[in-house]
Amino acid sequence: MISSAYIAWRYLVFNKARSATLVACVSLIAVLPFTLELLLNESERQLLSRAETTPLLVGAKGSALDLVMNSLYLDDQVPELVSTQVNDEVSESGLASPIPLYVRFQARGFPIVGTTLDYFDFRELKIREGRSLALLGECVLGSAAAESLGLNPGDRLLSSPETVFDLAGIYPLNMKVVGVLERSHSADDVAVFVDVKTAWVIEGLVHGHADLLKVRDSTLIMERTDQNVTATAKLTQYTEIDEQNIGSFHFHGEPEVYPLTAVIALPADAKSGTILRGRYVTDDKTTQIVEPTEVIDGLLQNIFRVKNIIDSVIFVVGLAAVLALVLVFALSLRLRQRELNTVFRLGCSRYTIMRLLGAEIAIILIVSAALVASVAGVVSYYDEQLVRVLFVN
Amino acid sequence: MIGIDSLRFQYPSSDFHLDIADFQVADGEKVAVIGPSGSGKTTMLNLIAGILIPDAGDVTVNGIAVNELSDAKRRDFRITNVGFVFQDFELIDYLSVLDNILHPYRISSALVLTGQVRARAIVLAEGLGLGGKLHRNVTQLSQGEKQRAAICRALLANPKVILADEATGNLDPRNKGHILDALFEGVQAHGTSLVAVTHDHELLPRFDRVIDFQSFRAGDET
Amino acid sequence: MGTNTLFGIATGGGNRDRRRTIKRHWRRVLVATLLLFVASNAIADNKLVVFAVNYPLAYFAQRIGGDDVQVQFPVPAGVDPAFWMPDVAQVIAYQQADLILLNGARYAKWVDKVSLPQLKLVNTSVFFEEQYIRGDAGATHSHGPAGEHSHGGVTFTTWLDFSLAAQQAQAITEALARVRPEMAADFERRFAILRSELLELDSEMQSIGQRTAGKPLLASHPVYQYLRARYGLNLRSVMWEPDVVPDQASWVALQQLTNEHPARWMLWESEPLSDTQQRLTTLGISSLVFSPCANVPDEGDFLSVMRANLEALSSIFGPGG
Repeated sequence: MISSAYIAWRYLVFNKARSATLVACVSLIAVLPFTLELLLNESERQLLSRAETTPLLVGAKGSALDLVMNSLYLDDQVPELVSTQVNDEVSESGLASPIPLYVRFQARGFPIVGTTLDYFDFRELKIREGRSLALLGECVLGSAAAESLGLNPGDRLLSSPETVFDLAGIYPLNMKVVGVLERSHSADDVAVFVDVKTAWVIEGLVHGHADLLKVRDSTLIMERTDQNVTATAKLTQYTEIDEQNIGSFHFHGEPEVYPLTAVIALPADAKSGTILRGRYVTDDKTTQIVEPTEVIDGLLQNIFRVKNIIDSVIFVVGLAAVLALVLVFALSLRLRQRELNTVFRLGCSRYTIMRLLGAEIAIILIVSAALVASVAGVVSYYDEQLVRVLFVN
Repeated sequence: MIGIDSLRFQYPSSDFHLDIADFQVADGEKVAVIGPSGSGKTTMLNLIAGILIPDAGDVTVNGIAVNELSDAKRRDFRITNVGFVFQDFELIDYLSVLDNILHPYRISSALVLTGQVRARAIVLAEGLGLGGKLHRNVTQLSQGEKQRAAICRALLANPKVILADEATGNLDPRNKGHILDALFEGVQAHGTSLVAVTHDHELLPRFDRVIDFQSFRAGDET
Repeated sequence: MGTNTLFGIATGGGNRDRRRTIKRHWRRVLVATLLLFVASNAIADNKLVVFAVNYPLAYFAQRIGGDDVQVQFPVPAGVDPAFWMPDVAQVIAYQQADLILLNGARYAKWVDKVSLPQLKLVNTSVFFEEQYIRGDAGATHSHGPAGEHSHGGVTFTTWLDFSLAAQQAQAITEALARVRPEMAADFERRFAILRSELLELDSEMQSIGQRTAGKPLLASHPVYQYLRARYGLNLRSVMWEPDVVPDQASWVALQQLTNEHPARWMLWESEPLSDTQQRLTTLGISSLVFSPCANVPDEGDFLSVMRANLEALSSIFGPGG
């Protein structure tokens, strides 16, 4: 009766440190390509599924990748801004329906997405708790953002200043959380959605304050003419919008030049999309129209090129590691020469000795495989968030 | 019962050679072999065990002509019929006492590890004073305990022959006696033949027969 | 100027809160719930749910859509829809609509302060944005206890130019047809009838305009700019409210105005206080109601109210004169 597995197991348990090192070594070599594959597949899925459902994107001329990454994956790299005229142009063309995006500000590390309610229909985002946006100053949270911030409908969320030294004095807006979305397995899960007008409130383009005509405190007034009243910096702007002061919120300047980061264009049909694209071909335009799938395909090609390089590096490293493992085994065989002599003298065949060593290798591989599988399991469970953390942001 | 007849053995690329005209050990007989180092005592034990094959002549153990068996058969013969006790114990350091005793059963298909075997191993070990230490690692044992564990391993399969090579060489005088007691006890219980190479002359009176290997070889040659 | 139909943005500060407040919360909730209920019934009937920001648009939509649409206009009676502010439940009711009809010309500032699906918004004045009438430069002012508001920027009572009203009706027709192309012919047919009625009012008002022959007229409130422009009325405006007694300063200003603009008639949005009427009479100024009909009238509908307006005006300058 030959119990090579038992003996091998006892040997590995007795030499715990050596066995653990071997298992760790094998696992590390194996886990790298597996998890890389998993994460790349997931990032490809995320990138593509999002890009495929976004037919056209209009934004400022410049990096198409920045535009797509900001609009589709809420990357904090803000592209050049365009005006709401871009939105109107798309609308008035009759070729496509526009959905404006203003992805510029953040609230406690989560991107604030200024858009219209149409975005929710377009992305098929459902409200899990609370309600959708109704009044200025309200926000709806993606599921991951809500979970991570620990916020529920009824709570408040303060927008973050754009920079630490925000001398322009943009007041943070204390937004009211009115709803939380169902999980969508996309970048929308980490978003703080507001009406685009609320995003302009955060920027200070739309604001509310005590009525200057009614103000009694003369230190608040810099200049008063028949036509106009100019306030001093002392005039406090409302940092919260409620039923009492919502009436005082108003737009400054022409709304046609209010900023957006991009406009999603949903063409009525393929032909309309082609015609619309044609309109942006001319050089004198300061805007560009991009098809996100094209941009993402380009990005993915680069990613896979890099992946191929990484794969060959892993292969070489893996080969070196396997050779090192062989060496470790050969050396340990020399250390065990005495033991092997003993069992040989007792009447054990060389074949059985090989089985013994084979069992050791098998156990190391099985344990490593289990380890790799569990790491891969964890990675594939959290792949969505991991990809977001590692690649997108 | 061991029989050697007209044996001639020579190591390849060495001019050492061993010739034994006739050597018999009866069942239950305890034979001590003495002689200077390099005189071929261990070589003879290896020839009896079938580890080495004679160039000429025959080695029979319990009526089996060892030198005529195939390699595989000789291994099976050795593990079932021959018990070894070595000077430095040759225990497997990563196994417990019990696992060491059972080890031959786990490395050969000629032996079958059953519950009975396991029970016998425990009885044997308890008989040699290892009862409380069966599950300890062998590295935790004293020298005397190690050798007793090795004796248990040699006796477990009820071999026809026990070959002891300087079995008491690494022990203090008090332990030497105990170990010899243990060996003799096991041998007597099953009528096993014992061939013990030793340098401990004070133990010689306890053997049935003592062979001075140098004169034994020379005598046979002349 | 481009329209920002999409956000319905308006510039300028201040707001006029003229609603005779129905403050009890439960009543608002009840109204909103009722609206939702009606709206969901309409969905069950596969009717288009159309919300409007003022009564003229609601009326046009109902005329054009007939039984195929369910028109909702949730502004309470007695409140000027231009300065109304809906509560959350009412905003949500608007969000459920298939179409939301905006007047354009920066009418109804509440639209800027709520979230509405832009793809459902319809700017009904899309055909005549170039014809918007800009008011006096953006001076803001306050008057009376009802609050302050601005008459600067764009004036928005577009439908008092009946040719513009017809164009607004056309915009509604096209929007309905976009959502329900299979019913386009029905919408067109009904629109043709409405259009001829509006154009009839238009030509009638044109002839009244000619009959005024440049005689000076007063308006109690600057809401008649489009009427004045289209029909050539020599109309100048003060800033009075029908339900508020004008203060002494207002009378002095009126005196100054009539010195250079000797009007004998003042147009009112609704019946003024009798004291005001009497004091005006002593100055030789008669009062005349010309309702803009921004909210649902107590009696009749948009067309009947406008016909009454025209009859009243016509009676001063003599029929067919």
